[in-house]
Amino acid sequence: MLAQFIINGLIMGVNYSLLAIGFAIVYNTTKIFHIAAAGLYVFAAYMFWLFSVPIGLHSIIAGLVSVILTMSLSLLCEIGVYRPLKHLKATNNVAMIASIGLLAIIINSIAMLFGNNAKVIQTVSSESLTIGEILITSPQLIQVSVGVIIILLILILLKRSGWGLRLRALSDDEILFKVLGYNPDATRTVIFLMSGAIIAISSDLTAYDLGLDPQMGMNFLVSAIVAMIIGGIGKTWTCLIGGLTLGVLQALVSGYFSASWQNAVSFILLLLFLFLKPSGIAGIKTRTV
Amino acid sequence: MLYIAHILIILNIYIILVQAANLTIGMSNLLTLCQAAFYGIGAYLGTLFLNQFNISFLAIAAIVMTATGVTSLIISFASIRLKGDFFIFATLAFQMIVFTILNNWTTVTGGPNGISGIPSIKIFGLIQLKGIYPHLIFSYVVAAATILLMRNIIRSPFGRTMRAIRTDEIAVVATGRNASMYKTWAFFISAALSGVAGILYASYIPYIDPSNFTLDESIFILSALFIGGIGNIKGPLLGAVFVVVIPELLRFVGLPTDIAADLRQIIYGLSLIIVMFCRPQGIAGVLQPSNR
Repeated sequence: MLAQFIINGLIMGVNYSLLAIGFAIVYNTTKIFHIAAAGLYVFAAYMFWLFSVPIGLHSIIAGLVSVILTMSLSLLCEIGVYRPLKHLKATNNVAMIASIGLLAIIINSIAMLFGNNAKVIQTVSSESLTIGEILITSPQLIQVSVGVIIILLILILLKRSGWGLRLRALSDDEILFKVLGYNPDATRTVIFLMSGAIIAISSDLTAYDLGLDPQMGMNFLVSAIVAMIIGGIGKTWTCLIGGLTLGVLQALVSGYFSASWQNAVSFILLLLFLFLKPSGIAGIKTRTV
Repeated sequence: MLYIAHILIILNIYIILVQAANLTIGMSNLLTLCQAAFYGIGAYLGTLFLNQFNISFLAIAAIVMTATGVTSLIISFASIRLKGDFFIFATLAFQMIVFTILNNWTTVTGGPNGISGIPSIKIFGLIQLKGIYPHLIFSYVVAAATILLMRNIIRSPFGRTMRAIRTDEIAVVATGRNASMYKTWAFFISAALSGVAGILYASYIPYIDPSNFTLDESIFILSALFIGGIGNIKGPLLGAVFVVVIPELLRFVGLPTDIAADLRQIIYGLSLIIVMFCRPQGIAGVLQPSNR
């Protein structure tokens, strides 16, 4: 049983890591507490459902469409709200409140259009793979393989590509970034597009396995934020460590104890980290006055 | 009339909550996401005492205020020195833990089914509040007392130091004042007042379940504060009126009933964004929310 729990936890952890990376690249660079990410998450899942169930496209095409639409919505949030606010010299907290407004608009528009009921994408019971005592269903297999490939791709892009370098430079020091002649707005555009895509992929993978409803976004986002913090704020690859740790912990708690207490346990872990090691498992050590 | 009285009672409860939030967020620049947790602890503890013991409101309020205040010390002790976002994360975690406990500790809190048939509060142990109008008058009294307390805090040396901390914490520390101590007290008072709002709610409705004390509720209180404006008395007052009364007014516009609730939320979201664009300091605020 232990092996089964750990495997389930790792698969969930990959999902958390993906969403955490989507949140973290916005948070680290723009310092916006991007709560609207929960709205994007729900939006992506509904677009995936819309194109694969009522319209009847193949899951892969529906997924791609959902990713592209979510990227545009993410960019719309940036161009329509965050960027004008930044040019008005608004503070971080103002951007956060505007983000809460965005979240309310997105989630309730979806609830209005599609109803408040839960929906499922994959109706037939799925095949599963058995290795020894461990059982993995085929949606889980898709989740873990696609998830891991995407995460590795993002991490390599961030480390090796020019825009990855610019992204890290922007998160380090925006004024110096401007002084050296780079355009922060252009980099932010890329950041929000990227973040939208990552959030959509994470959402589609989960929705395919577990179904969707308009209120699911906040739950997943909160777990992803926990993953981001216990991994360590300021870097991106740490989200992976945090996500996997959190996933395994939650699976063990729900396996041996009770599923309803898994949130409490993960937040107690978060509090312990905040009190004892605020930089997370592998984050940047900062000292603020 | 009953409907208007109901709205007014809810409004009074929110005035207390948003004023309490103003003390931490507006006065001492600690952004918290756990107002609803204290509200919930107050409601559940108040229910426990209303159900078990036949004591007056003042006694229950004193117990609940002490209990929520002491609970706030647990967070303060460990995280008041954490800067900016880390404090938000700590309060977020606390909020989620409290909600999970309320939702799962079924023997005491009744779990998701909540607790119903809560006896109403007694004033001085004699007069029991029966029906909606006594509750309305009583909620006015408590809200007015809260506003008076806030006014005095803002004008007192304590309030002045708090505003100084908000503007320049390092300067305050340099003049020999213990900034963390001041913040801890602000958080303590804020938590205690939220607890009182919880007792009022439990006694009035008289049914509580964990869904009233979620993270969304905390976010709702936070946005009410930011819409109204931080740092003074008028701001939170107007913010509470805005978030409680405006959605009710929209009931009379004649929206189709099946989408009315969602549409109200959308309008609420839009107004949040519009206020942040046009008046980032809030409708009646004096200061922009500062950088974390």
